[in-house]
Amino acid sequence: MRSRTGVEIRPALLLPVLGLAMLAMSGASLAVGYAQLPLGRALADAVSGQVSLPALVLLELRLPRAMLGALVGFSLGMAGAAMQGLMRNPLAEPGVVGISSAAALGAVAAFYSGLSATVALALPLGGIAGALLATLVLFILLGRGASTTTLILAGVALNSFAGAATALALNLAPNPYAALEIVFWLMGSLADRSMSHVWLVLPLMLSGWLLMASTAPALDALSLGEETAASLGFDLTWLRARLIGGAVLAVGSAVAVTGAIGFVGLVVPHLLRPLVGHRPGRLLVASGLGGAILVLVADLGVRLAPIRPELKLGVVTALIGAPFLFALVQRLRREAL
Amino acid sequence: MRIGLLRGAKCAVLVTAGLALAATSVAVARPQRIVSLNMCTDELVLRLADPERIASVTWLSQDPRNANMAEVARRIPANHGVVEQVLAMKPDLVIAGAYTTRATVGLLKRVGARPREFGVPRNLAEMRAQIREMAALLGEEARGEALVADIDTRLTALAKRRRPKPLRAIVLRPNGFTVGRGSLVDEILTRAGLVNIAAELGIESYGQIPLETVALAGAEILVLNDTPDSPPSLAHEVLHHPVIARLSDRLRLVPLPSRLWTCAGPSVVDAIELLVAAREQPR
Repeated sequence: MRSRTGVEIRPALLLPVLGLAMLAMSGASLAVGYAQLPLGRALADAVSGQVSLPALVLLELRLPRAMLGALVGFSLGMAGAAMQGLMRNPLAEPGVVGISSAAALGAVAAFYSGLSATVALALPLGGIAGALLATLVLFILLGRGASTTTLILAGVALNSFAGAATALALNLAPNPYAALEIVFWLMGSLADRSMSHVWLVLPLMLSGWLLMASTAPALDALSLGEETAASLGFDLTWLRARLIGGAVLAVGSAVAVTGAIGFVGLVVPHLLRPLVGHRPGRLLVASGLGGAILVLVADLGVRLAPIRPELKLGVVTALIGAPFLFALVQRLRREAL
Repeated sequence: MRIGLLRGAKCAVLVTAGLALAATSVAVARPQRIVSLNMCTDELVLRLADPERIASVTWLSQDPRNANMAEVARRIPANHGVVEQVLAMKPDLVIAGAYTTRATVGLLKRVGARPREFGVPRNLAEMRAQIREMAALLGEEARGEALVADIDTRLTALAKRRRPKPLRAIVLRPNGFTVGRGSLVDEILTRAGLVNIAAELGIESYGQIPLETVALAGAEILVLNDTPDSPPSLAHEVLHHPVIARLSDRLRLVPLPSRLWTCAGPSVVDAIELLVAAREQPR
């Protein structure tokens, strides 16, 4: 048992600090771009409703990019914390266990079949359907209390299957450009997204967040074991349904508009867990904010780095996240000995 | 050992096929079984040679959204540029693009099949030279000259049109690419009385351009290089970004089907005519 001491910070302090940091990063995201934008004038015009060119760039290009960075990061961070709390396993994360790549497969099917061109909502719904299927497969195959090894093996299987099926779908897609677009779906990017993407996923994500947040007290109880939680009066089946439903809504719609950005749900809960006193319920919102910060920072990175065409976001998050995964595996091995 | 044997056997098959191929390609002055492995060489072959002499063109040329000669191409067997497919067609002339199907071209060279490669013309002069080179290769010099003469007549007619001051233009292609200096498209824009902003920005041939720059570059004409009715792709989604629709209040959006200038041929004159018409249109 690892020690549960740490630098716990009161939620009343931690959440506002994280929230402010997220706002600051969103502001930085608005300020950084590819063209010289007179930011003051753009802001003034945007506020006064005058449709000048700088205001257009700010409202139609930079704002959706910053908003989607925060929304997608929040979804991935919160879903990571939720799944880790539910499975009581620090490696249970949408990307690692294959839920993100299954969501990408669902979104690819909805997008390249032309379905989302007629019904826009088909895109996030496709992502959500993919994520839901993958989660059901995981739970049916593994049952509850799966060991880390089985979880990871199932993740490897799901990830490689979904990745291959995505490649197949893109090769079969009639547009000759499609086959090259697998990088977006597997690595993720916020480039050239628009406000229509924001409005498309915002309600779905919000409901996912609320569902997950509603499980906070039960999650805290669950960390004491399933029997204890049940004896405290928590309905575990209902808890699982809400939590999985919330995570699937948030991750499915996030992946559908920005592709699968890996490691966010792994790194962020891991970093913040000591600060919330290792309470999985408290970790949820904190991880959401932390995820938003991480994605916004990574997206600033891809725009500031002198590499064109710009890097995919997943490249940056993997560079940060992979060492964390190794450290986690190392620690799990030590604990197992 | 087994692998070695297998490889030897494969080589032997290829070499025999290659020798047969080489023997015929030397003997025939006017090739009768032409195989083209590139969408742009397809178009020239289809324009210059009778369909009976063409054994195969690429599958891309059969799609009227991509290609100008799709109607004829559909009556000819398609290939995907795979070497086994090519050999099975027993061609007496294989024509390839200088940058595509490299593995197939390399294998064909190794077995002595001598595929002929054609590059990408960077201006109208290189385009004329390429048409003539292709016509000579196919033994259709007269048709080649007629094609060039037709292009030049139409270009002269366009040059005689009165042109007011040039307008500033930018081209947006799928994946957020634009076309700059040293490209056929740059000359097409110039001939249409437009100033290519991408060339001024120092972009050489094809390069990515951020939508922010497109919005703020001060263009008077935005040429959207779309494929009409194309199946969905992220690459084409950039061309339908809401910011472009909102820009239409302050500049002219000119949709230009990419098949008109993807390949160097008479259709580039259609592209120039389309741009001149857009420029002359009163606002």
